[in-house]
Amino acid sequence: MTRIAFLLVAVAAVTGVVASMAPASGHADDEAVPIFGIKIPPGYRDWRLISVAHEEGNLHSFAAVLGNDVAIKAYREGKLPYPDGTIIAALHYSHVPSEENDKVFGNPQSFVPGPPTNVQFMVKDSKKYASTGGWGFAHFNKDGKPGDEALLKTCSPCHAKASRDFVFTRYAP
Amino acid sequence: MTRIAFMLVAVVTVAGVVAFMAPAHGRADGEAAPIFVTTIPPGYRDWRLISVASEEGSLDDIRAVLGNDAGIKAHREGKLPFPEGTIIVRIAWSFDSSRENNDIFCKLNPASCGHPQSYVAGPPKNGVQFMVKDSKKYASTGGWGFAQFDDGKPADEGVLKTCYPCHQAIKARDFVFTRYAP
Repeated sequence: MTRIAFLLVAVAAVTGVVASMAPASGHADDEAVPIFGIKIPPGYRDWRLISVAHEEGNLHSFAAVLGNDVAIKAYREGKLPYPDGTIIAALHYSHVPSEENDKVFGNPQSFVPGPPTNVQFMVKDSKKYASTGGWGFAHFNKDGKPGDEALLKTCSPCHAKASRDFVFTRYAP
Repeated sequence: MTRIAFMLVAVVTVAGVVAFMAPAHGRADGEAAPIFVTTIPPGYRDWRLISVASEEGSLDDIRAVLGNDAGIKAHREGKLPFPEGTIIVRIAWSFDSSRENNDIFCKLNPASCGHPQSYVAGPPKNGVQFMVKDSKKYASTGGWGFAQFDDGKPADEGVLKTCYPCHQAIKARDFVFTRYAP
């Protein structure tokens, strides 16, 4: 029993180290965003679902919002503020009609994600990001290239208006 | 160690049995009765994301499609047909305009005022639907068992009978409409 507990802790620790290990440099998708220094968190596409959304207008996008384990737990418990270590990912896709589905339904009614457009992250570290509500923000274009400083400066002022610890998305049961 | 391993196997086995239990429906006319999935697969809300979608018209929802490990693996590898044990779940919510988000967009960008742009998932809607792959058990419906649960209760047979005829349209992708969103 003790051995298993130790192993579990060891595995969790190693996973944690690997997850927070940011590859030194090189490829475009290893680059960190300016201001917040965040790189794409490994394995985020395997995280669990918080909710989905659609933006019209210029964005014209689908969003899937995923959370790491810390985020999912906090969301389900409805506790605010989000604890340090929370990471929330917004995967954005273009919003396109599905001709294939519409043909089957016999009506133009079905919309699906087109190609990915970008992925954005919010990382909670209340000390490191104290000046932006405890959140670091990141944006990566579809090719993995980080958003520039001008773009990243727009994140916090807008999120500061969200009433739930800078987070817009609510959990979809 | 042995006891824990045994318990794990037991738990997994019980979960499997519960998930795949599908009582046969008696039919008088001798025709092979379609069999449906009647129990909600446990833990499905923790599964990984395959894709999202929205439907207008009478459905008027925004939806997420999740897959169990077998479902995710098959989707990512692009292998067809989907292997035995694949389960795909479609969760849907009311397609709601977000006043909170729109008001904030309006404050930040007055040009956007009066042009609501943000839609989010409202309360659950249109039930939760599953496709369970078991090519022997569900041989008469393309190897897939279909299910819909409304507020946790199985939908009636009339509803479930409509699943397969529609999914037949997408036979080329093993009866699955949803494509993986990378």
